Amino acid sequence: MAAVEGGDAGREVLTGPPSARRGDEPLTRYGPGAAPEVDDFARFAALPEGAPGRAALREELLRRHLQLADHLARRFSGRGEPHDDLVQVATIGLIKALDRFDPSRGVPFPAYAIPTMLGEVKRHFRDRGWALRVPRRMQETGRALADARETLTHELGRAPTIAELAARTGRDADEVVEVLESANAYSTVPLDAASPDSGAAHLGSVDEQLERVDNREALRPLLAQLPPRERRILALRFVRGMSQSQIAAEVGISQMHVSRLLSRTLGQLREGLGTDSA
Amino acid sequence: MATTQAGEVTGSDLVELRVPADPAYLTVVRTASAGLAARLDLTLDEIEDLRIAVDEACTLLLDPQAEAGEIVATFRLGSGVLEVEVRGPATALPERSSFAWAVLEALVGEVSTGQSDTGAWIVLRHTRARGAT
Repeated sequence: MAAVEGGDAGREVLTGPPSARRGDEPLTRYGPGAAPEVDDFARFAALPEGAPGRAALREELLRRHLQLADHLARRFSGRGEPHDDLVQVATIGLIKALDRFDPSRGVPFPAYAIPTMLGEVKRHFRDRGWALRVPRRMQETGRALADARETLTHELGRAPTIAELAARTGRDADEVVEVLESANAYSTVPLDAASPDSGAAHLGSVDEQLERVDNREALRPLLAQLPPRERRILALRFVRGMSQSQIAAEVGISQMHVSRLLSRTLGQLREGLGTDSA
Repeated sequence: MATTQAGEVTGSDLVELRVPADPAYLTVVRTASAGLAARLDLTLDEIEDLRIAVDEACTLLLDPQAEAGEIVATFRLGSGVLEVEVRGPATALPERSSFAWAVLEALVGEVSTGQSDTGAWIVLRHTRARGAT
């Protein structure tokens, strides 16, 4: 393929000549059939945003490397995260890598993409430590604030104000408020708690995490049945923690539509869980 | 067993781990890798990368055909350097252009490999990124 535009035809390519790549397929071979060609990356990088054919080429390059996302996700198996989720997260890393990749630097794409994808997966795991999804930036600010709060309390002999916290941590007061708010996500109140006072009644109750495992296992086949777009929206919402309007922009539909699809999909999942797991 | 260039790390501690060549045991090798990497005071990200690389190497060295066999992981801990040699029953390693190689090379500074009469081996060598503290 590749009409050479970038003049990079002579560069060392990761792969052998196409003729050498036919025959039996080892498990870890590059994506479907064709060898990834540096020319395609150069062509893609040269196309300005919105240029005709750019979207198709982007899609094609992504598709060729989807297997890499799957491959990397497998390295994290057995850590309590569904494989498909990890593939999604790794794929987001792949997309970021492709969009930022500069073939003129002479680094093969996988060498560039793999650290980006792994970074995305690692962040995913880091963020999972929280009961609710809180962006990493906020988690970090949260820690800084917790420290500042403690030292300031000592220094001042009283609890610091938002402004003092903001000044000490070099952050905007609004951000401080936002982060303090999100810190509540560290622990959540069980939905069945009748009142805050009844929390004690839950001490020594069944480990919620166990139930979560059950739910996850029960959800897996249901998620697999969803149409790709619905699954993607779910992933963006609950894996990436994106807002409905961000998702709308990402997927190219209206926010109202996202909202409808989300509630319909969640309804389906709920129904599926109710009938199957009973 | 064929000899390797491994062993360049001098004045090092040696840890050897021998497990059945069964995917179920890879978690033991992974955990050991992370534990030993932690001894070298590597950063969390370095430890994570190493763990993934070791997992990848072990997976490559499992032979899906062979019922029996062992994975032998030898860890050499030098100052700021961790070398992991993994041996397994696999009779063939995937070609250099495969994803698996791309992963190994992206994660570990030096990767070498070869065949021996009992299978194949991969040596991963990681040098601590930060200056020694």
